Order: sequence, then structure tokens, then C-alpha cells
Amino acid sequence: MKTIRHTTTLFYYDGPQVFEARDGIGGHYIAVLVEPQDGLDSYLVAGVAPERLRQFRAGTLDLRTLLTEGGAEEWYLARGADLEQPLALVPQTVPLAGSGFLPDAGFVLHDRPAEELALREARERNNLVLEIAAEPPEAAEEHRIRVGTLIGLLGHVQMMIKHAYGAALRTLSPDDRRAIDKTDAHMMDVVIPAAAGSFRVVLEAAKTPDLLGQSELARALRRVDELFENAGSPEQTLATVKAHRGHLAGAYLRLLRFLAQHKTGLRYSWAEPGFTKPNCRAVAEVEVGPLVDVLSGISNLGGEAVTLVGEFEKVNRGTGAWGLLTAEGLYSGKVREGGPSLDGLKVGGRYKFSCVEEIEEVEGTGREQHTFYLTEHEPA
Amino acid sequence: MSYRDFLPEGCPPDAAEEIGTEQIVFRLVRTDPPTAQDFLSQRQEKPERVFAGVSECEARGLSVFAERRDAEAKALKLPHLKNRKICRVLLPAGAGRIQQTFQPSHHTWWPLAAFDIQAHCGVGTA
Repeated sequence: MKTIRHTTTLFYYDGPQVFEARDGIGGHYIAVLVEPQDGLDSYLVAGVAPERLRQFRAGTLDLRTLLTEGGAEEWYLARGADLEQPLALVPQTVPLAGSGFLPDAGFVLHDRPAEELALREARERNNLVLEIAAEPPEAAEEHRIRVGTLIGLLGHVQMMIKHAYGAALRTLSPDDRRAIDKTDAHMMDVVIPAAAGSFRVVLEAAKTPDLLGQSELARALRRVDELFENAGSPEQTLATVKAHRGHLAGAYLRLLRFLAQHKTGLRYSWAEPGFTKPNCRAVAEVEVGPLVDVLSGISNLGGEAVTLVGEFEKVNRGTGAWGLLTAEGLYSGKVREGGPSLDGLKVGGRYKFSCVEEIEEVEGTGREQHTFYLTEHEPA
Repeated sequence: MSYRDFLPEGCPPDAAEEIGTEQIVFRLVRTDPPTAQDFLSQRQEKPERVFAGVSECEARGLSVFAERRDAEAKALKLPHLKNRKICRVLLPAGAGRIQQTFQPSHHTWWPLAAFDIQAHCGVGTA
């Protein structure tokens, strides 16, 4: 007997009322809760074409039409009390139209069609979507961008999101942090590498949304929005960036420097499927320079305090380089001129090192290089 | 604070807002006037059920809509809900905690045990 598995709840009211499901070979199904049978929840199920399902998610096709089309030849009932287990499909012989199980006409997931690309894609993909647009000089006449500019732009955006996510997580309670699956939660995939218009790229969260239909990435993007909120005012941006001191501020400044170097501004918009309009922010090319100037004047903008505890492993008195073997592995760092002396520390001894972790971009690679600068040490 | 249903640790989540100012929400009920049966959580109604994609905390809250239109134009068109009535619920300060969950107008409400829901719920009121 054919079975399906619940994949995504599309409409919830005291439990999933409408959900998507897949069968063992990847076929798409839509299921709708009907009246219980023999005390068990019962679902009307029909196979649906991926394109029609996409239209339903986007709010341009109503549920009754989707089911009527999909169930014209074959439709099923499925019963079960546990939606985490496969649901067995029982083929029905009466025509679906006369079954009394169909929803009324006019049920659409979204009342207003999305005009904006990010929102439309978010609904159709049922996931968080970010659209970024740049206008470097080479894109002025035609739809074109230098390879290095595109790679650098995507790399900087992804790094800023990564650090914004890390900063957002630090504000959560330990219980909330533990409850989140953080694996790769900051990662984005390019899904439309060159959308029409000025050079536009559409990215989608690499992970699917959580139980409530919300993406972990939204935490990060709300922080990024704060940084771009007043791009036209270096003073206001300075105050915001100071409040976000640390790796996020450092990544923001590196992105701005990159934009200045490549003579482009940046526009972006992002949306989750449940949004009614996308969140949009921008920094114009003429605004980038003043922002870089004012932010570059702050010392230690991108540094974050880190405490390491472990065995003193090595030291180079000439360069001030040191190594500390901690439970997480070997950390290497440096001592800045005027920093604490390493004299008297014993190799193999156990110490607590207070450091400032700074991140620098490895020129041209888009990669980050982390450096730990020792500020204090004491026996542990 | 004591809630109507027994809630697991960490529930309601930090993101759920404590109801501090009066607000109106809409709940689907079976009868007019509504009965206590209309305000049971999913867990109270179906103790054995396993909900896919729904946390235990969610299962112990009540679904409500912030917009009446979403109850009318969406929920009442569905086969399982089409015979329900829309009850307008006035939530004063101290009614519990509430959080937007799933689709935009949908909220999960965790009522406090001391809050008399039926006294604040009216079917047919605008």
C-alpha cells in the first residue's frame, strides 16, 4: 500500500489542517483534515503537480481547485494519530467532487499576490529568501558583473549573516539556545544566480524553516537590517555599529570596504513565506565612502573578548606568537607590542588566557583569518 | 503563574508576549454559547496524539486569529472547521501569553488558569 510522509504544514489551527507530504519516490501530495473516522484523524489526500503546488503556496491557486485537479483520477483517505509516522493511503472509488470532503472554493494561502521577487520566491519555496542587488560599473550597460565582484559580494554577505546569527544567538537564554538546531543555520544557497534587472542574486536559507514555519536566519537578517537602517547617516550608523561591536561590526565594515573598492552600492530585500511585504534596505554607492571613513576610525571595532583555558604549548619570544592547547584544540595567537609578557610561563603549565579575537579577510580569497591577541594571563 | 494546561519547561517560550494591554482575537467554537470544550488545548483533547512539526508547548496552547477575516475566508472553508462559529475573545491584561505562530494571523495563546475565557467570548459580536 502506498504511504506518504508529512513534510510541511501549510495551514494550522489546533493542529495541521492543510499539509504537504511526499511518497517514497518523491511524489508531491496535499492533505486536508476532514471529520475524524473511528476516532482517528482523517485526511483527504491527492497527488499534485509540483507547479500547481508552487502556485498554491504562492497564493495564486485555491485549495479546492488544487485538490479537484489532483484528485480527478485518483484520491485517497488516510487515517492516523501520529503524523510523524507514514500515513497509508486508501484509494477511494467515488468521485472526489461528490465526496463531501472538499473545502469550499476560495481558500488561498495568501490574500494578496506578492509583487516583490523576494516575497514571491519565499512563498513559492516555503522558506526564507534573500535578494541582493549590486550595480558595479560593468553592470551599467548590460546584465554583467565581474567574477571577483560577484564572488566577493556573496562571500561578504554570507560572512556578515554568519556573524549576525552568532550575535543573535548570544542574546538568547541557554534553554532557548539548546532548543535550536544551529547546524548550518546561517548558511544560504544561491537559487537564482542572475535575476533580471540590475545585477540581482536570489539566495534561499540552506535549511528548511522550523516547527513554526520560521527560519533561524531571520534572527540574523533582523540584525543586519539594523546596521543598514540609517545608511545615509554615518553618525546614526556609527551609534548602531558601536552597539553591535564584535565580529558582526567587523564583517559589516569589511563589506562596506568591498563595496567602496568595487564602486557599487547594495540593495537587498528578504522575506519569509508568512510576510505580507519584504524587509528592504540599501546603501547607495555615494553613502559607502563616508560610512567606511567614520567606522574605520573606531579601534577594536571587530574584536571580541575570548577566554581560553589550556596547557601552554609553545612560545616565540621574537614574534610574540604563542600556542595554548585547550579541550577544543590548539589555539595560536600573538602578543601585541606593549601587551603582557610571556616570560615566566612554563611550557606544559595550565593557564587562563584572556584574548581579543580579531578577524581579517585573507585578501582576494573571501576567507577569514582569526587572530587571538593576548591581553592577560593567569594560572588556571 | 499558573496556566490552564500543564506546560513543559520553557513554555510559553521567551518570544511569547505577556498580554499587558487589552486585545481582541478570534477563536472557532462549536456552539453558541461556547462551552468549556471549545477551549481545550490539542493535548487535552487528544492526549495520545503525536503532532508532526508541532512542539508539545504548541499543542498545549489555543489557536486564535488576530484577524476575523482569516477565520472567515480561510478556516471556515476547510472541511473540518466549516461548521464552527467565530467567537470574539477579549483578552484583558493578565489573560496569559500569546505568540504569532505558523501563518501570519495565527497566534498561539496560553491562557492563565484564573482567566474566565467564556465570560470574555461572544459569538456573533463584531
